[in-house]
Amino acid sequence: MEQSMLEIKDLWKSFNGLPALQGVSFKVAKGEIYGLLGHNGAGKSTTLGIILGMVAAGSGEVLIDGVSVQQDRAKALRKVGAIFEAPAFYDYLSGWNNLKILVGYSGRFDEQSAREVVERVGLSDRIHSKVRTYSHGMRQRLALAQALLPEPEILLLDEPTDGLDPEGIKWFREFILDLRRQRGITVLFNSHLLAEVEQMCDRIAILQGGKRVFEGPIKGLEDGHTRFLIDVAPVDKALEVIATHGGYMESPEIAHIPCAVDPAAVVRDMVLAGIAVKSFHAQHRSLEDLYMEIKLESQLIRTP
Amino acid sequence: MIFFAQLRGELRKLFSKPRTWIGYGAFLAMEVLILFVYKLDRAQANMRGTLEQNGLQFDTYYSSLTITFTIMLLSMFVLGSIFFALVAGDIVAKENEDGNLRLIFARPITRLRLLFVKYVAACLYTMSFVFFVGISGYLMAVAAVGWDGGLFVLEPKMKVFAAYPLWFEGASRLALGALGISLSMLTITSIAFMFSCFKMKPAAATIITLSILFVDMIVQNFPFFRPYESWFITWRMSAWVFLMETHIPWAKILEAFAFLGGLNATVFIIGWLAFQSRDFKT
Repeated sequence: MEQSMLEIKDLWKSFNGLPALQGVSFKVAKGEIYGLLGHNGAGKSTTLGIILGMVAAGSGEVLIDGVSVQQDRAKALRKVGAIFEAPAFYDYLSGWNNLKILVGYSGRFDEQSAREVVERVGLSDRIHSKVRTYSHGMRQRLALAQALLPEPEILLLDEPTDGLDPEGIKWFREFILDLRRQRGITVLFNSHLLAEVEQMCDRIAILQGGKRVFEGPIKGLEDGHTRFLIDVAPVDKALEVIATHGGYMESPEIAHIPCAVDPAAVVRDMVLAGIAVKSFHAQHRSLEDLYMEIKLESQLIRTP
Repeated sequence: MIFFAQLRGELRKLFSKPRTWIGYGAFLAMEVLILFVYKLDRAQANMRGTLEQNGLQFDTYYSSLTITFTIMLLSMFVLGSIFFALVAGDIVAKENEDGNLRLIFARPITRLRLLFVKYVAACLYTMSFVFFVGISGYLMAVAAVGWDGGLFVLEPKMKVFAAYPLWFEGASRLALGALGISLSMLTITSIAFMFSCFKMKPAAATIITLSILFVDMIVQNFPFFRPYESWFITWRMSAWVFLMETHIPWAKILEAFAFLGGLNATVFIIGWLAFQSRDFKT
């Protein structure tokens, strides 16, 4: 892996004796979009809180570009921009004054850069209106503008598309993907909208009950194998052929074949072996499938 | 430079909130009321009696300066303390309640620095408010009774009596007194600010602060505590009035302000420690 922009090392945290995080670790490489998934209460927001120094870790450490948040929070956060679900601005001030105040906490407010960012998020014509007159979508754009000032290297997005309409969600996704293409920005995307995560992220981690129960690339959800729905006879002979290609059978109807293997070659070998092949369909395993499987497995483990 | 930019931001927030201006409106209304009372024949007769008993001329001391002093003496502790506690009690707790702190915590600013900027802003509000009351009260009094005349000071509880027949002398003492009040009021601001840093609602921070001050003031007046009255917060806060004496007892005043300064620093540190140890979940 390339140099990590964000490294979470063995985070533990409990609230009033109840464990919220139990040894969560992961790394986000520079320029990567990393999704953090989990149901409500899984520990996503606590992880984000610890990354920002809003929540003190029970133990463990967070490094942002090599700087420990626990040891020097102010220095570590210099490269960070963050957006939260339903961001709370000062409603009685204009969007511009909100930017001035918030960016002022990071250092000097550069009007030229601010104007460019406001233009980029499409708020130029309303930036001097009071925030109380903004729609939810406009607030999210303002949140994005403040997160991009001054030039962060990593964006922490906590449920940023919640409450947005489909156009808003699409605009947001494309904006983030553009940012990554143009500036190589790193993103930690905390969400429970699986379709969004699937379209945006390179890798994901799934949290459940404060534990990381899965980590892997979105493109390798099949764990290096493609699932096939098959109808073959006899099944035992088909299993032998599949095994010679490095695959296995989950059930008489489902076969897993390594992604590197050409499925046509497997079918050809089956036919040559005298196996009747009535159907052989690749089955895409979505993030939702994976998420539900992991959730089910965890529930089975918890249930004696 | 960055500190001043951050302070400007805090002041911008503070003075853009409608509730910050409620205090200004309330004081203007109260000043009008006091002026109205001063214009009543019965009030004037009372004042004439008090002045002449002390060998002073009514025409010299029935003046804008004397009325301004009365406005500040009567209003600041009771009404002023409510607004100072309200604004300082809000300054951290309200931002936490509204969720504004989350966006600030995503910024590379330490909690100590954030609190310090907010504290300085609250102190500037307090001091500017006292001077606003003094200046607006004086301007209204000038409109009502004219600018000329001396300053008569009578504060029975602290046993302060003084008379300055010349306008310039009276005006400078009044300005010095306003500075003293503004420094004293910082204690209310500091206590409310401390509670604002705790995990509580803004209204609770305001109410607890006011309760402490009123209990302090009441207990101080119990006969048993009379010998120890100088150890009460509100007594120390009233020590500004000694600045109005003909011969200023600097030692007594400095002792009182050192006590208040130490108290302000202590409550700020307690507030910071409480704030520092809190978890702010998103």
